[in-house]
Amino acid sequence: MLELRDVRHRYAGRVVLDLPHFALPRTGMVAVVGHNGAGKSTLLRLLALLEAPTEGTVRLDGAVVPHRVPTTLRRRVTLVEQRPMLFRGSVRENLVYGLQVRGMRRTAMNGIIAETVERLGLAPLLERRRHELSEGEIQRVAVARALALRTDVLLLDEPASSADRAAAGALYRALAAERVARPFAVCIASHQLEDAYRWADDIRALADGRLSPVTPENLFRVELPPGEGLKSVRVGTIDIVVMTDRVGSAVLAVPATDMFVSREPLASSARNVFSGRVTGMAIEQRGAGVHVRADMGGVELVAAVTAQAARELALAPGSAVVFSFKATAVQVF
Amino acid sequence: MDFLGEGFRRAWVLLSLGDSEVYGIAALTLKVAALATIISCAAGLPLGYFLATRRFWGRRAALTVVNTALAFPTVVVGLLLYGLLSRQGPLGGLGWLYTWQAIVLGDVILALPIAAALSAAAIQGVDARIRRTAETLGAGRWRTAWTVAREARFALAAVLTAAFGQCVAEIGAAMIVGGNIRGSTRTLTTAVALYTSQGDFGLALALGLVLVLLALVINVVLQVLQGRGHA
Repeated sequence: MLELRDVRHRYAGRVVLDLPHFALPRTGMVAVVGHNGAGKSTLLRLLALLEAPTEGTVRLDGAVVPHRVPTTLRRRVTLVEQRPMLFRGSVRENLVYGLQVRGMRRTAMNGIIAETVERLGLAPLLERRRHELSEGEIQRVAVARALALRTDVLLLDEPASSADRAAAGALYRALAAERVARPFAVCIASHQLEDAYRWADDIRALADGRLSPVTPENLFRVELPPGEGLKSVRVGTIDIVVMTDRVGSAVLAVPATDMFVSREPLASSARNVFSGRVTGMAIEQRGAGVHVRADMGGVELVAAVTAQAARELALAPGSAVVFSFKATAVQVF
Repeated sequence: MDFLGEGFRRAWVLLSLGDSEVYGIAALTLKVAALATIISCAAGLPLGYFLATRRFWGRRAALTVVNTALAFPTVVVGLLLYGLLSRQGPLGGLGWLYTWQAIVLGDVILALPIAAALSAAAIQGVDARIRRTAETLGAGRWRTAWTVAREARFALAAVLTAAFGQCVAEIGAAMIVGGNIRGSTRTLTTAVALYTSQGDFGLALALGLVLVLLALVINVVLQVLQGRGHA
């Protein structure tokens, strides 16, 4: 229901976002993953109706959002920025801010605040002021402040970047609980892929302002040598063989699902075979797949396998592993 | 240096006896300066906010004009205003020449750029996330502006002080369009100039002290008000 159509957004003439179509469903959690500078924050600002795209339209329930956004439309969407800012005053004053501007009555406001505070465990912080809070606490208060508004769309830019793992887990559980109580759309920009795989219903990868068919684990910026056909390209300490006629600066993408995982090198046609150790494993939300992260001598690669395959291979962090993929599996952008 | 000591003594006597002329001049000065400060800030602060937050064609030029106006010579403003307010001038019909209203007008013209330029700088100093956050939390335009202004309250209080300082200490325009008429348009600054030229250092110094005292009181009041707000 909130969507971008034919959007090209520029800063100082440079295209930072190029999305023919990007839609958030009415309910559910979408995670947008990508490197720093991939355009995640810009995307969220457009979705939050804070900026109008240079080209293209933002639509809410099918209707084009005008350049000068009416407050009634803006109030249906809210965003928590990556490094959120609290207003001067206490945590409580921050929490009521958005409800006050909506003209809510005090009793109703108190009820919502109490519920939100309970959900995010903020009771001990209520009377504190912003300079008395840690970065992680500020982030939690900012999420609570946004959550309390009960908007149709909640946008979160790296909501757990300053939180430790336990706090991040608590945050995502609180979000999940809120979503059970009330259906709404959530869009999270994150570089914490484990969180994305664990909590989101849908994962979309951004690379250089475009939707990328692969998540950003296996994205490499390279200089392609002259010539046609098979080329070997140095990526950190490894050489990736790629089939392309492209020359010069490019991004290589290896879909995690195109990676063969084995314990020993396989006799196969794959031109790319790398041995290393498993550094981490993340189970997808639906439990069917496992993302295996491995260190191949300084370069991290991620492969997606079924849970059953991971079990059969007895993969665990620290175990030796071999990833193989064909030169033609490598996509060049 | 004798005249200085004599001047202070005279000043003390006049002030402690509650000399009606001294207090009358002080009251008029306060009225004119307060009114001019209120008007110039009421217009200058929103203008500063607008210049600091909106991106529009000619914004840089507008900022340059406002900043240049900061250095506008007060006598030139007085002169231009004189031309406008004189009987043949376009605003002659108002009949304001040689009235305290004309001094207020002159002060407003001089203090407005100060209020606009300094408040623009103050607002630009506020983290851009504050404004974005207010917007994402659903605040309308006015509430957003108020939220941003609250964050810049120390700097904006300084804007008030600076505007008041300009108005209370202004002499060029006040002399030209006010005329320094005893009992009607004589302000502290014009009176100091007059009595100094007449050799009445005691009275001039007394009035000068009142001027300094006024500025001090206003600053203290503003500081107390600022102190009430915490971070």
